[in-house]
Amino acid sequence: MMDILKVKDLTCGYDGREIIKEISFSVEEGGFLGIIGPNGAGKTTLFRAISGVLSSWNGNVFYKGKDVSGIRPRDLAREVAVIPQVLEIPFAFSVEEFILMGRFPHTGRFGALKEKDHEILEEVLHLTDTSSFCGRKITELSGGEIQRVILAQGFAQQPRLLLLDEPTSHLDIAHQIRILDLLKRLNKKKDLTIIVVLHDLNLAASYCDRLLLLDDGKVHKTGSPQEVLTYNIIEEVYKTVVVVEKNPVSSKPYVLLVSEEERQKRGSK
Amino acid sequence: MNKKQVWIFILLIVILCFSFILASLIGGSELKSAKAVYYLFHPGSYGIERDIIWQIRVPRIILGLLVGAGLAACGTVFQGVLRNPLAEPYTLGISGGAAFGVTLGVVLAVSGIYLPFLAFAGSAISMFVVYAIAARKQFSNPTLILGGVMLNFLFSSLVFLIFSVSRAEDVHGVILWLMGDLSSAQNLLIKIIPVFILPSLGLLLVFSRDLNILTLGEEKALHLGVNSEQVKKILFITASCITGACVACSGMIGFVGLVIPHFMRRIVGVDHRVLLPASCIAGAIFLILCDTLARTIIRPLELPVGVITGIFGGIFFLSFLMKSKRWKIF
Repeated sequence: MMDILKVKDLTCGYDGREIIKEISFSVEEGGFLGIIGPNGAGKTTLFRAISGVLSSWNGNVFYKGKDVSGIRPRDLAREVAVIPQVLEIPFAFSVEEFILMGRFPHTGRFGALKEKDHEILEEVLHLTDTSSFCGRKITELSGGEIQRVILAQGFAQQPRLLLLDEPTSHLDIAHQIRILDLLKRLNKKKDLTIIVVLHDLNLAASYCDRLLLLDDGKVHKTGSPQEVLTYNIIEEVYKTVVVVEKNPVSSKPYVLLVSEEERQKRGSK
Repeated sequence: MNKKQVWIFILLIVILCFSFILASLIGGSELKSAKAVYYLFHPGSYGIERDIIWQIRVPRIILGLLVGAGLAACGTVFQGVLRNPLAEPYTLGISGGAAFGVTLGVVLAVSGIYLPFLAFAGSAISMFVVYAIAARKQFSNPTLILGGVMLNFLFSSLVFLIFSVSRAEDVHGVILWLMGDLSSAQNLLIKIIPVFILPSLGLLLVFSRDLNILTLGEEKALHLGVNSEQVKKILFITASCITGACVACSGMIGFVGLVIPHFMRRIVGVDHRVLLPASCIAGAIFLILCDTLARTIIRPLELPVGVITGIFGGIFFLSFLMKSKRWKIF
């Protein structure tokens, strides 16, 4: 299968400080890649570099074989949707207005909307379970509600590749599962390629086909969740004691944290 | 546009026409109203009343209309691009820069035709500084406004410096003009200002949808397909052109650019495709009415219209802030 995204020897950072160091990896069309790693490992920086916000110092990012720095934003936006971790929205757009902004790269200069655009609006409202927010202002929604609406906007772009930075950080467990289930479903049924930065190792293990473990700006390990999430790799990278078991439901790896109290109890035995 | 917005537009245009007629009928010299109405609708006739209306009042009203619309549009655009509720030509120091350029020109006895260019040069300096601050990745909104306020301080000090070394006769006209005055514009200027302002307003409108998306921040805008850097530059330069032209004609008229966009956002919503034209019309109405008041309130003398807009705008805005429960004015 063809690589939809290929990152080659990527190095970048801020203010002369190198954060990402010579990272190379590729994602196949239809893949579901999770980017994991401790705080400060460079997850968000890598994310920003892939999404074209941060220009690389060295190395390239290719989308379907073309260097992304050479693709017009409008053309790229028809293929790639990016869901940031936080989005500050100062103006009180209505939920519908906001989601329809996702149609921007597909519509003309004044954005006259066609029947199809409204059908897509209905569809993404349904997909993200946000129909009930219609008529409300975006500034009145809670953090978790906004996150789902931003996701709906991203789906309205009808992307081939979806990049998400911690899409579940403001969500309760029910919505976490619902959103990740939805991503998985779109991944399987519509062959949507997904790259997601996740904090929660267990969510990453249960949903992603492949994981990329970042440590100090470098790729520590890539592979299937079973290959990446072993107790010695996690302890090495996160510098904390964990126990990795098999999830009895999904038989994916399951990371259990061990508190200091427990460690001492067991250590003294 | 939905039905409500269409009605608001119709209402705004009706109010604009009404203001236009009202402003041309009353003024410094008293005309009998029946006669004035006759001359207003018969511009081809002869008589001193006809000249007063068609050669003095109407050009001034048109100037007020253009300046009001221009300033309100600039305020809307700056607030949107910078995502800052306090941004407008005045608070960003762009008016101050233009004022400095014009003051320098007047004192050096530069011909009136070149004043708009000096105004634009001055506003371009300020715009460049503001843009440099805004382009830095980690700038915060208060920093930007602080920068604008500092620019205004700097330029007004430079203006005062010019005053202090000039003869009083030379600068008297400039002082009135600095307070915001629609009467001192020369006829020639009134003929060229539409050429500056109307195409610029058109250009802003063409980019109003990109502006909607830019309000989500440059990164998100880029991901939705807006070439953020390029669009931001176009909007900044265009709005500064408009500001320069407005200041060259009418001095420093504050508050129109700040208050009108906030007010219209409440009424028509935040979609700039609707908000921008609505703000233009509302700004025109506001300035025409303020100028009418400035012309008539201490008849036969006149007040600078900037004083009126400042008083009305300030009171209106403060009461608005005190009434709104949270500091959330967008």
